[in-house]
Amino acid sequence: MKNPKKSNRRFSKSIIFSLVFLVLGFIMAYSFSLSQAEKNKSGYTGGAFFEQEERFRGQLIEQQERNKDLRAELEEKQAAVQKYEQSFSDGPDRFSDYADEAESLRRYVGALPVEGDGLKVTLQDGEYDGNSENPNDYIVHESHVFQVINELYISGAQAISVNGQRIDGNSYIVCTGPVITVDGVQYPAPFTIEAIGKSDVLESSMKLSGGVMDQLLNDNIIVTLDMGQKISMPAMLSES
Amino acid sequence: MWLSILGLILGISLGLLTDIQIPPEYANYLSIAVLASLDTLFGGIRAHLQQVYDDKVFVSGFFFNIALAAGLAFLGVHLGVDLYLAAIFAFGVRLFQNIAVIRRIILTKWAEKKELRETQG
Repeated sequence: MKNPKKSNRRFSKSIIFSLVFLVLGFIMAYSFSLSQAEKNKSGYTGGAFFEQEERFRGQLIEQQERNKDLRAELEEKQAAVQKYEQSFSDGPDRFSDYADEAESLRRYVGALPVEGDGLKVTLQDGEYDGNSENPNDYIVHESHVFQVINELYISGAQAISVNGQRIDGNSYIVCTGPVITVDGVQYPAPFTIEAIGKSDVLESSMKLSGGVMDQLLNDNIIVTLDMGQKISMPAMLSES
Repeated sequence: MWLSILGLILGISLGLLTDIQIPPEYANYLSIAVLASLDTLFGGIRAHLQQVYDDKVFVSGFFFNIALAAGLAFLGVHLGVDLYLAAIFAFGVRLFQNIAVIRRIILTKWAEKKELRETQG
């Protein structure tokens, strides 16, 4: 009768103690983690504009570095996918057909660097003309670039780049003062428009009488056509 | 014994894992609560060594001291008086006193033991 009572009391005692120690441990650990958090926060004293700017700059650099990393990763992944598809072509014909199709489509949308025969059109500002009052009469405008690109697409160009930058369906070309902006990148004259396709067809369509070339020459622009070259273009991975 | 150690570990892990954010002005109360609980703990150890230990006094003192210290600090913040300094002072002094008493008791016990062994051996 006496013994169970005693053990019961001891049990309740240890329960109370464990409760006390629980509270103690909680309070100490919590205040520890709180002071740790405070220490981290106190790194930024705040207020000063300069420090804020510095902080934002740091964040920007961080972001850009991350972008760079991600870009590298993307290129790696694309290479891996390409490799994977090429491994298909060893298998059944169906797969290799699909892989080839994907490959060619990818070339069209600009996800891969391409190479081939084609035409190179260089548009250069006309000579300075003292008689002309308006310099707009002899410099290259973005509309001229449009004309050339349009004509090249009509005559069957498969890929086009402006000053080495790939163009696709979502690209934009804007006149920004003396330069033009292609997908957010500015280029001054002269503009080199490269097109991959049948170079003789492209050239003859440019040279149609009353066609693009004549119009450009009419606007006092120096046009150079270069054919029979190997043209290579980078993949369309512009930072916009 | 094991249950209390388990409680301590549970409390520590709970405290480290909680993500509750409290405003920094309340951090003062927490530090005082820590001090109060430590003071009570050492007081309990001292009482145990002096054979005047009582469960009820210890447990009630533990919780009551924490609440009192936090309440005092709260009152001080709202009155514009640094009352938490009083709590820190009182608990700090008592903490040191308690530890000193514990040390002395342990030293005397040790010396007694040594003497006993020498007389025996």
